[in-house]
Amino acid sequence: MRASEDELRAMMIAGLDGDAAIYAALLSALVPLLRAFYRRRMSGAGDDIEDLVQETLIAVHTRRATYDRDRAFTAWLFAVARYKMIDHFRRSKNHCPIEGLKDILVAEGFEDSTNARMDMNRLLGDLPPKQARAIRQTRIEGLSVAEAAEHAGIGESDVKVSVHRGLKTLAARIMGERR
Amino acid sequence: MKTDALIRALAENVKAVPRYAVGRRLAIGLVGGGVISFAAIMLSLGIRPDLLLAMQGFSFWVKWTYTISLGIGAIIVTARLARPDTGRLRHLWLLAVPVALLALLGVAEMSRTPPGDWLAMWLGRSWRDCPRNVLILSMPIFVGLLWAYRRFAPTNLRAAGAGAGLAAGAFGAAVYCIHCPEVSAIFVLTWYTLGIALATALGALIGPRVMRW
Repeated sequence: MRASEDELRAMMIAGLDGDAAIYAALLSALVPLLRAFYRRRMSGAGDDIEDLVQETLIAVHTRRATYDRDRAFTAWLFAVARYKMIDHFRRSKNHCPIEGLKDILVAEGFEDSTNARMDMNRLLGDLPPKQARAIRQTRIEGLSVAEAAEHAGIGESDVKVSVHRGLKTLAARIMGERR
Repeated sequence: MKTDALIRALAENVKAVPRYAVGRRLAIGLVGGGVISFAAIMLSLGIRPDLLLAMQGFSFWVKWTYTISLGIGAIIVTARLARPDTGRLRHLWLLAVPVALLALLGVAEMSRTPPGDWLAMWLGRSWRDCPRNVLILSMPIFVGLLWAYRRFAPTNLRAAGAGAGLAAGAFGAAVYCIHCPEVSAIFVLTWYTLGIALATALGALIGPRVMRW
């Protein structure tokens, strides 16, 4: 069961007056409170949270003189905890781990989409510019034939023919590569 | 280290903490730094020869009232900022009261002085040295306050640094009064305040670096 504000405050005051047993009980009672506090606010791993809990316990100990006996204890405690969390973020900002980067990119489909785009560019690069542009606009960027015609300043039928011829050339080339 | 073992280690050696530990520690830092500032002014600039006579005059007490009241206000703010649960600083505007009163006094003085003498009254004999001396004399006090802060838990480090700088600047200026022969209110308002402001800015600048915990 979690201790209430009044209980914690009474324990803190006893600790400030030098009662080591009650003080140890107070620190133990803070552990679940702090774990819950950090778990709610951070998506980080369990190790991070346990590190922060320990850091906060040390801070509670070394900074205990700044607790004003006339004010709420939990407000003081969570102010310390919040500061430690911000400090943690500030420190880890400069050391973003890059080990997992490859897995992240694979998981996001980054590699597949990049490879597809590279293949496409290579294939379209071999076509005459007019055909390549017509295919790119109507088949990849999703423009209508009329829009593509207006864009390129040519007739609609010219766009249709360009797409048709270009795709035929590409198909023939891919077949040839496969063979 | 396991959390349980950590708790056992922390609770092993608990000294009792007196009720006004924060105020006491701040006072030690302030007085310790002030003594060093005082020693520094005795060894370098020296006391103004007519100090006892000046202490019977009005302008000396204007300077002390101005600097010391600013310093007391700043130290109260600094003590608040030493705690993590500072809350809102509601009475910060009170720090402007000494400045406003001194400005009123300055205007009154100017109205009694022919305009041709205003520039001389404003610059005095030592306007070039005054802000620098105030800043230098505030440094031991600033260091004393930073020492006090090593056991504190400020969460707004820039404000805490500025508060400590303001307190150090104001008390440094109060120490400087025993040397400075200037009498006019607009001199004090400009050049003392400039020195104090420099100390405040310095505190705001380095607070986030040196007050981290």
